[in-house]
Amino acid sequence: MSVPPPSDALKSSYRLVRDPRFQRVLRVQAVLGSAIREYLNREGFLELLPPIIGPVSDPGIRGAKQATINFYGREYKVMSSAILYKQMMAASLGKIYFFSPNVRLEPLETAATGRHLVEFVQVDVEEAEATVENAMARAESLLSHVSDYARRELADDLAAFPRTLNGGTPPFRRLTYEEALRVLADHGREVPYGVEIPWDHEEFLSSLYVEPFFIRDYPRGARGFYDREDPARPGILRDFDLLYPEGYGEAVSGAEREYEYAKVIARLRETGENPSKYGWYLDMLREGIPPSSGFGIGIERLTRYVCGLKAVWEARPYPKVAGIYSP
Amino acid sequence: MSEPLTKLFMKMASVRSAAAAGRSFLESYPVDEIIQKAKYGTQALYPFSDLDEYGRALLGADIGMRQLRRFHTLDDLVLLPPIFTPKRLEKMTELQREPYFSDVRLETAIGGFRSRMPLAMASMGSTEVAHAASPHLGKAAAEAGIPMGLGENIATVWGYAKRTKPSMPSFRQRLFAYLDAMDEPFGGVVIQQSVEDAFDELWNKIYTDPDVEPFIRKGFVAFEVKLGQGAKPGLGGETKVSGDVARSLKGKYYFPEDPEKVERDLYERHSAPGTYTESILRAQLRSLRNNFPRARIWIKAGPFRDLLPLFRVAAEERVDAVLADGKEGGTGMSPTIALKDLGLPSLACLARINEARVEGLALPFVLSGRLYDGGHVVKAVALGATACAFGRPFLVAAGVAGAKGISNFLDATEVEIRMLVSALGKYSLSDVAREDIGSLDRDLADALNVPYVYV
Repeated sequence: MSVPPPSDALKSSYRLVRDPRFQRVLRVQAVLGSAIREYLNREGFLELLPPIIGPVSDPGIRGAKQATINFYGREYKVMSSAILYKQMMAASLGKIYFFSPNVRLEPLETAATGRHLVEFVQVDVEEAEATVENAMARAESLLSHVSDYARRELADDLAAFPRTLNGGTPPFRRLTYEEALRVLADHGREVPYGVEIPWDHEEFLSSLYVEPFFIRDYPRGARGFYDREDPARPGILRDFDLLYPEGYGEAVSGAEREYEYAKVIARLRETGENPSKYGWYLDMLREGIPPSSGFGIGIERLTRYVCGLKAVWEARPYPKVAGIYSP
Repeated sequence: MSEPLTKLFMKMASVRSAAAAGRSFLESYPVDEIIQKAKYGTQALYPFSDLDEYGRALLGADIGMRQLRRFHTLDDLVLLPPIFTPKRLEKMTELQREPYFSDVRLETAIGGFRSRMPLAMASMGSTEVAHAASPHLGKAAAEAGIPMGLGENIATVWGYAKRTKPSMPSFRQRLFAYLDAMDEPFGGVVIQQSVEDAFDELWNKIYTDPDVEPFIRKGFVAFEVKLGQGAKPGLGGETKVSGDVARSLKGKYYFPEDPEKVERDLYERHSAPGTYTESILRAQLRSLRNNFPRARIWIKAGPFRDLLPLFRVAAEERVDAVLADGKEGGTGMSPTIALKDLGLPSLACLARINEARVEGLALPFVLSGRLYDGGHVVKAVALGATACAFGRPFLVAAGVAGAKGISNFLDATEVEIRMLVSALGKYSLSDVAREDIGSLDRDLADALNVPYVYV
């Protein structure tokens, strides 16, 4: 489904934020943030300040471009995701999270997916010594905590939208990537193996379910270099997406991390870059860090799902959509 | 010899060697033939000189060779027209008249693009000789409806949108010299990204550029993974850059001489060849497809010994086209020893393309490497290539008469291809096959599994 962004409204978002429905969305968003913090703090995670800029950022961002700033004559990137720093901090403190603002200069084609913003916030969670299964369990337990919290604390708001929220009951359904392709193929939507599920197919797949569900075991090449390749199944990554049902699509993306220096060097070539660009990160891996797993959950997409909004630009103040110059 | 004499002799020899380098290109490369085509277009297809014009001249095949060669080229093959031509009968039936060479259909699908003929303009990189001519190259290729490559390091050296040197076009200007002149739906651009361009996210830049977006949407943009080039397989791009450019690029490339410490007019700038294993390549191709789903994916391979395994990977990963560049391919700058000793000749690359066809790989193959006329194109197609890419001929033609020179040269080449294909009694390129090829050399005939013509 194509949802063209309302560029005039976005350009005067200072007016938009005073709209009562919009105000309600922002209040819900604040409560969802508290729910996430409540859960993670209770489970022993430490909230850290997020990095905003650094010499390198996440290159695995599906065609989007990183934003670059001039840092005293050198080049710095604005975080496209804090993935490298998550590994750094999990190595130090074990269980950590950030509310991390990210910028991705998305291709113009994403403007109408209803799911892409150029500037967004994700809660980045990382846990040392955790496996991909641990991370999936953590993600579903966090999401169901948040859904329960919302139904309990935000009943009036949900009724006002109106929205019936089915947060599902863990354990959520777990499809492998291959199974997901088969489901799509059964509906006449062929996706060749190895290819990331295109946006419209992902939305369709999500519309087939009424509760959140996982897709796991993506093939190497479909995800960033930091998603760990399964040593027992070369070519398969120990990673996952958690999808909202009802056509809302991707909620969470997560994985067990590559943490061994030599493997990361080879995996980094998938981006076509010279590994020297990732100097500090590789130095850190060479000195050694523990294995870890984690995930990121986008706040705007969560808000959209909870409130039942048409598009993600209704789910944050001053939204930035690809190609639209707005406040 | 007394000492001053020796010195004088050495000095003279060194001056001579500089002149000889230029002369050697003129002698070993068919510069005159290309210049004639650039100046006179299809009028240059006949070997008349200004003195022996039509009606007064008596001409025949030139049986000489310019020089002794170290290895076989496509010139060791000939095309074998038959007297019995069932395909010509088919064409006559379709047309209700005798067919002519003008009836040959040349339109070719190359790597996701439609091309008016089985020919592409090979990727040329940041070297000044190509970069300065790029407005002509882009315009002429686009108007002719053939795809054009954009080589490595252009954006990194000359700037993506903002020029690093006022007199030289930026990457974007070079790109739009082509895109703005496109004769849709023909043509397309194939853009390389070196390890150093990747540092600046060149492909992401292009993919998110609002002005390029309409062309991406229409499928006119391909990204090309460069696994090497003919003239220096296994070595990265090399060129020389001025001091200010060198200082701005320090840190991204390898400079044997530090431009901040050593004073030179020009500095050698080396780029890395890039490290691959089969699994790295596969993952890189998949990432490319996932990151840029609306771009075509091409591979440019140098003349490597493992071309055939590479072709298999490319076919399995559904790459849109693979270009194989033979060792005699052109270059802005390559070490002499690399030119002499590294890699497979173009004909050996073609033999591997042919093997891939025998295996049943359905990939579009483009051959390049010192190819410059219609005969080369038809022979390559007969042995399994989908198309050829020319590089140097376009630079020579641009030097003669700018974009007009290139379009004259292309007109002449197009007619050559038509004449040769129709002489084989065929009117569609896809009918041209191994049966149309003969070898002048027995070993070559055996190797390519084609007839030895003197049998």
